[in-house]
Amino acid sequence: MKLKYVPVYAGDFEEQLKFYTEKLGFKVADNVLFYEDAECTLLETGDYDVLLAISKHNPHTDTKGCIILNTDDCLNDHYRLRTAGVQFDTEPEYQPIGLVAEFSDPCGNKFVLLEERNYNEL
Amino acid sequence: MDYALTLRNNNKIYSRINTRQHDLQCSADFNIRFVMSGSENYQLGKRQLYIHPDSFLILNKGTQYASSVASNDPARSFSINFDQKFLDDFKNCWMHKHENLLSQPDLIQKQEREFNETIYPFKGDIRYNIFHLKHHLDNNTQDELLINEYLHHCLINYYRIYNDEIFKKAERLSFLNNSTRVEILRRLNLAKEYLYSYYNKNISLEELAAHACLSVNHLLRTFKQAFNVTPHQFLVQLRLQRAQLLLKTTRYPINEVVSMVGFECPSSFIRLFRTHYKVTPLKYRQTA
Repeated sequence: MKLKYVPVYAGDFEEQLKFYTEKLGFKVADNVLFYEDAECTLLETGDYDVLLAISKHNPHTDTKGCIILNTDDCLNDHYRLRTAGVQFDTEPEYQPIGLVAEFSDPCGNKFVLLEERNYNEL
Repeated sequence: MDYALTLRNNNKIYSRINTRQHDLQCSADFNIRFVMSGSENYQLGKRQLYIHPDSFLILNKGTQYASSVASNDPARSFSINFDQKFLDDFKNCWMHKHENLLSQPDLIQKQEREFNETIYPFKGDIRYNIFHLKHHLDNNTQDELLINEYLHHCLINYYRIYNDEIFKKAERLSFLNNSTRVEILRRLNLAKEYLYSYYNKNISLEELAAHACLSVNHLLRTFKQAFNVTPHQFLVQLRLQRAQLLLKTTRYPINEVVSMVGFECPSSFIRLFRTHYKVTPLKYRQTA
């Protein structure tokens, strides 16, 4: 058993899809019919097996969520996304886990850009 | 890879492989100096300091110094000069943001023009950020906004280290007068930089105390108060840490590493290493 799809709340489907593909650079992996009348668009967020699923009518995701994206260089990705027009809710901040910056998608899901840092290593 | 970069806002970044000695010069701006491999010697007045890859040096504007390579292999150095205006803008913005966080805002006000010119530990966030920045520059990034973003964060990191190393530690000292505390801490940092520089020599307490302008008793008592370890414990930790780096990045035999970092006997080194890192030096090297 493993984690495969994470459904994400999409208020305005088209706007959401545009934000994910054009600004965040996610790639559309597939369109699948989950249930009758519930076609989902699956999005790749990088080199991971877990895909995000958004849909015009999805009975499973009517609440906003929070998604943590992994990055190996938070300052760089923060800069790149900001240049692409993503508005950040917080500037990169130092937390015990590493460097963290937050933004929201058009319908209010929260995204956390996280660069984990090991503070015990030399 | 060698390069010298001057940004439009006059911040400057140098990456060099040093093999020779540089004559006495005067630092034009506030600057932070790192050594990525090998080690460098800096002469600041009477002080002889050595920077290794686990530490960095800051120099204020106008300081006279001479530098040379201290290791057998060439030293790969990386340094950043901050333009005064960039620095002033940063200070204003940082002071504004952190006024309530500072333990003693009046002290930083007083010291804001001059930083303590000494050796600081190169670890944690500043290490991550400098390595990212260097990676971008080595790959020929031209985007100055991005580069300045890293420089801004490098200052944030430095301020935090400065606050941790100077003010937080000064608070631990049991003197009533604030300026006495900061002065004692300044001297303790002289002791620390001496340990950083001569870690592999046989250092006597008298020598260390003399470099710090403190009496031996005073040094022992206040060092422990401020840093929670005795000078000897600090020295052993530093030697182990540098041995760890040598084990990881070089192929010197363990016996040689032992004497390079200043331990006299391999068996006590192995015992200390194992107690400290829960792994033997040999196993560490195999898995590093």
